[in-house]
Amino acid sequence: MSKQTIDDSLPLVQPHPLPLVQPHLNTIKERQAARANNKKIMLCGGTGCLAGGSLKIKDAIEKALEHNNLKDDVKVVMTGCNGFCAHGPLMVTHPDGVFYEQLNPEAGVKIVDGHFAKGQPVERYMYRDTVTRKPVPKLNDIPFFRNQTLVALRNRGVIDPEDIDDYIARDGYVAASRALTSMTPKEVIREIKDSGLRGRGGAGFLTGLKWELCSVVVQDEKYILCNGDEGDPGAFMDRSIMEADPHVVIEGMIIAAKAIGAHYGYIYVRAEYPLAVKRLRIAIKQAEGYGLLGRDIFGSGFELNIEIYLGAGAYVCGEETALMRSIEGKRGSPIPRPPFPVHKGVWDKPSVLNNVETFANVPQIIIHGAQWFKSMGTQKSAGTKVFALTGAAQNTGLIEVPFGITLRRIVEDIGGSIKKGRSFKALQLGGPSGGCIPESLLDLPVTYEDIVQTGAIVGSGGMVVMDDTNCMVNLARFFLEFTAHESCGKCTPCRVGTRVMLNMLTEITLGNGREGDIELLEDLAGDIKAASLCGLGQTAPNPVLTTIKYFRSEYEAHIRDRWCYAGVCRTLCTFHIDEGKCTGCTACARACSTGCIVGDKKQPHRIIQGRCVKCRSCFTACKFGAVKIGSALATIGSDPSINTFNDQEVSS
Amino acid sequence: MGRNILVVDDDEIIVRSCAAVLNGEGHEVSGVLSAKEAMNLIKKNTYDLIITDIIMPTIDGLELIKWVNDNYPYLRIIVITGFSSKAVLRDAIALDISEFLPKPFFPQMLIDTVNKTLSTPPKVPLPQKSVEIFDTESLLAITRRYSKKRGALIMVLQEAQELIGYLPASAQKIIAKGMKTPVSEVYAVVSFYSFFTMKPMGKYNVRVCQGTACYVKRANEIMEHLQDDLGIKEGEITHDNLFSLETVRCIGACGLAPVVVVDNDTFGKVDPAKTNELLKHYR
Repeated sequence: MSKQTIDDSLPLVQPHPLPLVQPHLNTIKERQAARANNKKIMLCGGTGCLAGGSLKIKDAIEKALEHNNLKDDVKVVMTGCNGFCAHGPLMVTHPDGVFYEQLNPEAGVKIVDGHFAKGQPVERYMYRDTVTRKPVPKLNDIPFFRNQTLVALRNRGVIDPEDIDDYIARDGYVAASRALTSMTPKEVIREIKDSGLRGRGGAGFLTGLKWELCSVVVQDEKYILCNGDEGDPGAFMDRSIMEADPHVVIEGMIIAAKAIGAHYGYIYVRAEYPLAVKRLRIAIKQAEGYGLLGRDIFGSGFELNIEIYLGAGAYVCGEETALMRSIEGKRGSPIPRPPFPVHKGVWDKPSVLNNVETFANVPQIIIHGAQWFKSMGTQKSAGTKVFALTGAAQNTGLIEVPFGITLRRIVEDIGGSIKKGRSFKALQLGGPSGGCIPESLLDLPVTYEDIVQTGAIVGSGGMVVMDDTNCMVNLARFFLEFTAHESCGKCTPCRVGTRVMLNMLTEITLGNGREGDIELLEDLAGDIKAASLCGLGQTAPNPVLTTIKYFRSEYEAHIRDRWCYAGVCRTLCTFHIDEGKCTGCTACARACSTGCIVGDKKQPHRIIQGRCVKCRSCFTACKFGAVKIGSALATIGSDPSINTFNDQEVSS
Repeated sequence: MGRNILVVDDDEIIVRSCAAVLNGEGHEVSGVLSAKEAMNLIKKNTYDLIITDIIMPTIDGLELIKWVNDNYPYLRIIVITGFSSKAVLRDAIALDISEFLPKPFFPQMLIDTVNKTLSTPPKVPLPQKSVEIFDTESLLAITRRYSKKRGALIMVLQEAQELIGYLPASAQKIIAKGMKTPVSEVYAVVSFYSFFTMKPMGKYNVRVCQGTACYVKRANEIMEHLQDDLGIKEGEITHDNLFSLETVRCIGACGLAPVVVVDNDTFGKVDPAKTNELLKHYR
């Protein structure tokens, strides 16, 4: 366990005396380019690594550099999230690109002494190949990174997010200057429309079309909004972009504002992301200081001001109309459409809302053109998508892949498959609005259309890998609990419907399921989907429907056989030891919280069922797969072989 | 003035007689026969003084004192014991207790010792409630600052909550007046967003992440353990006002799952069995 603290103070920014115009960008770029070969330590300062203690590592590295008289030669930069969170805290050396992982202050000192002082890379802290166990020094050779294509995340880990000059050196604000000084709004819209960029927040609406619909409305006052209210549990791509590359969001907003003719923008960020808020605040100040926000940007006469708006903790505010009500200072209840926000949005004025990741793609499209963007991905789903890969995979973290890649490549090549000894069960896609995809569908390409066919959605990009110790019924209950809690209460199908479904699922997990429950759940789900007012209710039944579709036998086992094979629902399982497999190593007896496992050393052990509280400690502790999970109907204390469900059993 | 006293002894006669004597002095006395029961009561109620025996079955007095010192360092402790051997005496004194009273003792000796102990200040100051009484003027100043801004109600409420720690009905009325909006509208917003609370928070706010990645890594067990350690349920505050316990829906640090956040500090890869260690940073 480790600790992080976020410092709220803002560094002072020197205001630039005059609005910055094109030549100044080049001056900064040249100045930064001259320093390109300077030695740097890019230490990850994303939320994950900070919690792992990267600030302490930074202190240790700086001391070690001073000790070795390298203080002026090597600069330590705190970057945004690098993406490989499971191996954090981590760093990359610049310019040679060596990747060091799982650091601590001591490791920092050793790397300075070895890598920088003696010129000998330190193998001990390098990534190791999962099969050969050989160290892989270069970041680009690690499978997790090698299989990715970075567009929205192109600056992650390579710039200092709190320094605008670093961003400018990587072609930052070039696209904005082009859009403002040499393109008409129509040309900007055409470029985005031709690129086929679709909203990355979930629904996948064509971004260019949305801008066009808003741009043709004649109104003096329009708004450009950025949705950073990343509410899906298990998703953190927007957080990472805002933390690692805040200027790309601002630049995307400038271009969109030009396209639709807006002069005021809001970035709506969750209050749960203090670091993202801090970095965006710094970025806005720096952009204002350089004249990239405010009046007469790039001398084009175009004006844009951006304000950060902190969310107050309501999942439904990720929904377009609810978010706009929230900005107005009201309850975040959605309203029926039409009128659409592009006609009547914030303060009843035409507004365009795009997701953080959508904005992060925009500057690249303006620079490289629509054709370049279309060359990645598939016909209907162009470009790349960022996913937050979490759960039981070995390599979890943030990844960006082109559309059209198969789910299997993501799980196996990038995620490095399931942890040893366990087997893959399902992939949860799209958070509480999405669904669970079984192994048999893993060869499906990732596109908006193909994923919808399965009953799940691409959504904002949460991807949770489940292994055989996860219970699908309980997981469906978890998501329903979430949506029932977060339902705003305005429309009855969602408010009451999700609650009724939740109660039924809870009863099933407690062992009180009845015949006909599955059919009733399916029936209710259809009604809720059809009758709910906004996306929250319309998609809330998806996790239940997909788990019933692909894991119906698991529901049936819960109801008929009173058996949760994953051993998650405590009233629906019994634990017993397979005497043939037990080596008598006593690991289970030591782990047992109630002391109900008996047996002599090197002799098969036994669980006294009456005292077992089903904490699963023995199951986790056993290294030989001897602890078995049986049905609650299995006769207590009897020979486990009478249990007839052996074919589906999960063993530890 | 009567004070709250807890007597712990495995001998029921001692507990009853102590209670009778101290009740006569106007104190509120509760008695239990084991350290285990004592710990449960200390988690739930506020006491001014603990009187404990040393030699008790399962958990002995020394262990109880250690636990109290770790978790409730401001509690005064009087040790009563019949086996006042030098070793026991040394162990007990080493544990930073207030007084030592060898058994058997006369009622008056008990009364004198108790009164003497209660007249001394607690070993460490009692944790303070966030703020009970707020400054109306500074609250109005916030509303004035935002009065020209459209849709500023949520921002005003966020600042007000930072000032007071929570949003009691009285504060909502003042805000409504300052913002020239109906109280019902202010309440509608406060009750809608999970960030706003109408109950005071503890000095440290403990939030357990229940996002999907944390959930599949058994964050619910962490919640159960924390509820046990703190003796409160989710959404409640410990009686010493030190901790409040909440659920948070994903803080986006899924690579570190399961995660617990205490104020601005994030703890990753938390072991459910070791939640008490995490809280020690703050005690």
